[in-house]
Amino acid sequence: MRLIKRLSSGTAPYFYLAVLLLILAYLLSAATADSSRLNDLFLVIFATAGAALLLLFVILVRSIYKLFRDFNNNREGSRLTIRLVSLFVLLILGSTSIVYGFSMHFLHRGINSWFDVQIEQALNDSLELSRASFGIRMRTLLRQTRLMGGVLSELPDNELPKNIRELTQLSGAIELSVWTLDGLLVTSSSESPVIMVPTKPDESILRQLNQGEDYIGIDPGENDKLQLRAAVRIPDTQNTGYQRLLHVLFPISEHLSELGKTVQAAYTDYKELSYLRKPLVTIFTLALSLIVLLTVLMSIWFAIWISRRIVLPLQELSEGTQAVASGNYNMQLTASGQDEIGFLVRSFNQMTQRLTQARNASQRSHRLLEQQTNYLTTVLGSLSSGVITIDKNNYLKTANTTSNKILGINLQQRLETQLEKLLAQKTELTPFIQLLKQKFNSRSSWQEQLELRKKTGPQTLMCRGTPLPDGEGWVIVFDDITTLLQAQRNAAWGEVAKRLAHEIKNPLTPIQLSAERLQHKYLPLIDEENSSTLIKLTETIVQQVEAMKSMVNDFSDYARNPGLQLQQHDFGQLLREILTLYQSNPAHQFMLMNPEAELFVSVDQNRMRQVLHNLLKNAIEASEEHNKSVDIIISYQAVSQHQQQWLEVAVTDHGPGIPDDMLDTLFEPYVSNKAKGTGLGLAIVKKIIEEHNGIVWAENPSQQGASILFRIPMEEQAQ
Amino acid sequence: MGFTMRAFVVVNSLLFALFLFPSSVFAQSFSIDSAIVKKVGNGYKLDASLSYTLTPRVIEALENGVPITFYQTFELTEPMAVIGSYLDWRSTLWQTKLRFELRYHALTEQYVLLNLETQHRQSFTSLYSALTALGKVNDFILPPEYLVEAGDEVQLSLKTGLDLHALPTPMRPGAIISTKWQLDSEWVNAEWQ
Repeated sequence: MRLIKRLSSGTAPYFYLAVLLLILAYLLSAATADSSRLNDLFLVIFATAGAALLLLFVILVRSIYKLFRDFNNNREGSRLTIRLVSLFVLLILGSTSIVYGFSMHFLHRGINSWFDVQIEQALNDSLELSRASFGIRMRTLLRQTRLMGGVLSELPDNELPKNIRELTQLSGAIELSVWTLDGLLVTSSSESPVIMVPTKPDESILRQLNQGEDYIGIDPGENDKLQLRAAVRIPDTQNTGYQRLLHVLFPISEHLSELGKTVQAAYTDYKELSYLRKPLVTIFTLALSLIVLLTVLMSIWFAIWISRRIVLPLQELSEGTQAVASGNYNMQLTASGQDEIGFLVRSFNQMTQRLTQARNASQRSHRLLEQQTNYLTTVLGSLSSGVITIDKNNYLKTANTTSNKILGINLQQRLETQLEKLLAQKTELTPFIQLLKQKFNSRSSWQEQLELRKKTGPQTLMCRGTPLPDGEGWVIVFDDITTLLQAQRNAAWGEVAKRLAHEIKNPLTPIQLSAERLQHKYLPLIDEENSSTLIKLTETIVQQVEAMKSMVNDFSDYARNPGLQLQQHDFGQLLREILTLYQSNPAHQFMLMNPEAELFVSVDQNRMRQVLHNLLKNAIEASEEHNKSVDIIISYQAVSQHQQQWLEVAVTDHGPGIPDDMLDTLFEPYVSNKAKGTGLGLAIVKKIIEEHNGIVWAENPSQQGASILFRIPMEEQAQ
Repeated sequence: MGFTMRAFVVVNSLLFALFLFPSSVFAQSFSIDSAIVKKVGNGYKLDASLSYTLTPRVIEALENGVPITFYQTFELTEPMAVIGSYLDWRSTLWQTKLRFELRYHALTEQYVLLNLETQHRQSFTSLYSALTALGKVNDFILPPEYLVEAGDEVQLSLKTGLDLHALPTPMRPGAIISTKWQLDSEWVNAEWQ
């Protein structure tokens, strides 16, 4: 099986087997030749050829089976191979059948033409003629022999040799001998002195004579020289009791003998040839059939082999095309030959090379684009401005990380979302989205300031819109300028406060001193009625100056901007210390809600005390003003937001709450709904908290009252 | 050539054994009826009687002018111990092969028997006579040199048959694979007297 596998798979074995089969075919044809030394090996060669035929047949069957298996499996090129093989096989079978048919016909005709009825008849006739021509002489000689037998019967035994010699000479016989009927020699005579032992009549002659019949016949002698043989019984006239026979060999003339030999040779040869006609035809037919069968099988095998070779590059091309179609551009086929198929393969290789180059170039461009996109994303991400792009159908396409922070919504998770849906998810963005939709109707760049109301307070955005080329959408850049505006306002208020303190505080002391001096100097000089008026007036001046001094100090505090003295403090401890100062009034109720663990935070202790004092004072005043019970809840806890730990402190009273229109401006200087106070308390709170990088805001809880909340960062953010 | 011939005989025997053995068991064949070696003076001579029965196919060929060649093989062997007494091998001391050609002479209607070694010719009026004459081996003198040297264990074996390779080429393949031509006798050991 391994041999068959090897033979039906390689290339070189095909040629070895082909050469072997050719040699076998030659030997087979040579072995059928009459004079060949290979005659004896005919059967061996025939058996070898038969074995080769069987091997070839098995290989062929295997090859054909493989072909059909490939065809059933829809392997590339199998259809074309089968078509080519079928074509070749048809051609081979057609042409070989014609040649075989004609060869057989000529073979039979050729051999049959050797034989002719007339020739056969002529040979038979010539044989008969020869026999007839000898027949006359044979009869004469038989009579002569009988006469000699009669003569010898008269003689006594002792005279026989002498008389036989005489009879030999007289009759012209070659040899004359007397035998008993048992085949024992009595006496003999020969014309040739060389012949010592006479020719013995064979058993059948003796038997014939025993039966009483004489014998006469032509005898092929030495060197095929013909002679006549006669045997007669010698009559027992003397009643000796012996039965004897006379055996005589007569010569035939040289000429007649030669003619007889020729006729005999021609007749025998013809008869032998005629007899050998059938085996001759059989052997030639066998040899021819075997050679034809070998040739046909070899040709079919070669057809399969050559078809596979032709189809192989096409099959590779087909596989290569499929590979290219599925995206594998590195496919390179082995180019073979200088023919059209070789050209096709080389063209295919060039094509895949170019495709690979094009794909590599495309990949490089893609990578470059990705790098640029990453670069742009990084740049956009590092911008302090929010940048978003929106397509013409109002779908969000891109957004940088800053836009998330500014708008308070993770836009990058909501790319490809329509603006309306964003609005539904975050209602605070209503003014922003309305502005965008409104501006999208125009085709030119625009800039607009916008205010969003957020839980932590109002947020001011500066928005700029630029249309993308070809009306594909918009790029919106927006900045949170709340802090900037606040800083501007703070700076302005600080300046005002500083000037106010400076300009007002200076004349207040002389005014107060002048009023006290006026009272002191003129009180003794005036009457009692007027003196009370004077005292009342000067005290009013002093009181108002004190009030003004207090106010100016507040302004001074607000305008003051000393560096923070940050230290780690237990915030609960700080709160408790401050609350101790408010314990004196029994009408004031304070509830401190402690967290589970103590919280340490880095703050400027004095500034934070001021913040807490301001908040508590504010709450007490708010409650008292509206005749509400002073019931204040202070809570503090750690919260986590934007991956940052914050300390959140809430001071909640049970007062009337903060009017809605004041919520946005509550922390501005001079904003107060209280009857007394400078309106700087909460502004100072906000300033100090912002100095601590914190935020402060106000809320009206669902129940009665108001809450002021602030957050300052904990841990490293506070450093 | 000798080797080729031997190989050929082996292959033929194999082919024959493979395809034709079962039918050949019952086929007609030649036989050696008796073979006796007698001591005459200082020498030995063989008298043997061989019987030749021809199949109709052979007779048909003969009568159609195809000469038929017979062989008679005589072989003197002695035993040779290969592995002690376990395996005997007979080595050939001497061998001779006599070949006779029998053909039908159409003109004279006789059968001519020709000794191919001596070219001695005999004519017979019947096939039976010719075959009888062929089957008589009288006073066949054995080579004394081997018989003197060898011990008592020397054997004379005989075999006779048809020489199919002497047939005309077209007939040969058919004859070689045909049971009707497979008439060889068995090897027969002669009796020593």
